[in-house]
Amino acid sequence: MHGHHGSSFARLRVVTSNEAGLQSPADIAKGLAEGREQSLADAYRRWSGFVFTLALRALGDRADAEDVTQQVFVSAWRGRANFDPSNGQLGGWLTGIARHRIADRIAARNRDLRNAEAAGGLLQLQTSPDRLDQDTVDKVLLADELARIDDPRRTILRLAFYEDQTYPAIAEQLELPLGTVKSHVRRGLLQLRDRLKEVKGDDTSR
Amino acid sequence: MTTHLDEELLAQWALDRDTPDDAAADHLRLCARCRDSLRELRSIAGQVEDMPRMESAPEDVWDRISTELGFETGSLQPAPDLSTAGSTSRDRFELRRVGRPTRRMAAVAASVAAVVGIGLGVIGTLLATSNDSGPPTAEAVVRLEPLAGKSGDGNADLLQGTSGSQLKVTATGLVQTSGFYEVWLINEDGKRMVALGVLNPGTGGTFQIPADAAGQGYRIVDVSLEPNDGNPEHSHNSIIRGTLPS
Repeated sequence: MHGHHGSSFARLRVVTSNEAGLQSPADIAKGLAEGREQSLADAYRRWSGFVFTLALRALGDRADAEDVTQQVFVSAWRGRANFDPSNGQLGGWLTGIARHRIADRIAARNRDLRNAEAAGGLLQLQTSPDRLDQDTVDKVLLADELARIDDPRRTILRLAFYEDQTYPAIAEQLELPLGTVKSHVRRGLLQLRDRLKEVKGDDTSR
Repeated sequence: MTTHLDEELLAQWALDRDTPDDAAADHLRLCARCRDSLRELRSIAGQVEDMPRMESAPEDVWDRISTELGFETGSLQPAPDLSTAGSTSRDRFELRRVGRPTRRMAAVAASVAAVVGIGLGVIGTLLATSNDSGPPTAEAVVRLEPLAGKSGDGNADLLQGTSGSQLKVTATGLVQTSGFYEVWLINEDGKRMVALGVLNPGTGGTFQIPADAAGQGYRIVDVSLEPNDGNPEHSHNSIIRGTLPS
């Protein structure tokens, strides 16, 4: 992990500049273990986008995704004694909680559907697979990590992956040499691979 | 075999869906490590084609958490996760890449704030209020003026659309040299800044920003020339600049 993300911009409003310094995941984990409310706020700032996007992708409903996001951070606070830093990082632990909360929500939906079917003889209601598949988690992790890569690589990867632009088109648009663009995309893929490995290694819930 | 295939080469094959040349193919037959590596990279190359846009939870989700846990509200406001705010535009608003603010960077921002204090750069006028449907409406047009000793100018249009606010930046007369141009939003507090993305000086660009960025003090639009040095921080070489109305 490079040292530049999660840092200075979205800092808290009502803290001294010293306290508002960059919080590494390890700092946040330590504070959380010590029961510092501020650390939950820091964790929220760092991971809520990931949790919300994952829940939204899995559930397809914003209100449900908001509820799940709320539950994940409430669970993290109440279950902070269960977090063992020696067994992985906070991001992986939160991912595990998110998986469970999302699975709960899907199960509840399926139960409601089955009840409705039984009660009203409604036909053709489809229950969803009751587990969040790994592919979905991976894609959100990749998107989250991409957002943390430094420019110009980040912009290049976005144009390549989100906009499906060709390398020559990207080179022209950003006025960068073609070789530079190609190299950034290749290294970016390797960078994403490394980050995915690191984060997935910490998600012990699978 | 002890010499493994170059990782960038593996990445290239994965991305371009190319087949390795004969020598590499021979190596892959014999080397499980390179074979696994290529398989893994191909899988990721497929996944990145279908990544979701990152989205941020609405601000009140934190309030709900804080309330449910009985935290003292007010003292623990995490700033909204602006890094994932607005996610439909090509150039999403992104702030995580900005490093720990250095003393130098604070000085840059402070001098910016001072300049803004005497009112330079604001030519913005409110043109229209936001609209709930249809194309984005222009909220303000800001002239970007060259800094002392620099040449070029431009416009930053603040647009309000259904998916949030956008900043459309165009520039003229920026000299194309080595490196790249980057658009920043700098906070009036003189301490914080955020990179919006790379700007093509020829065609301009549109960047997604949170609806309340200006309200939070991120009002100074800055275009810098960045060297290709891998340092994500502001180069200290600002070329043109303007200020969004509050």
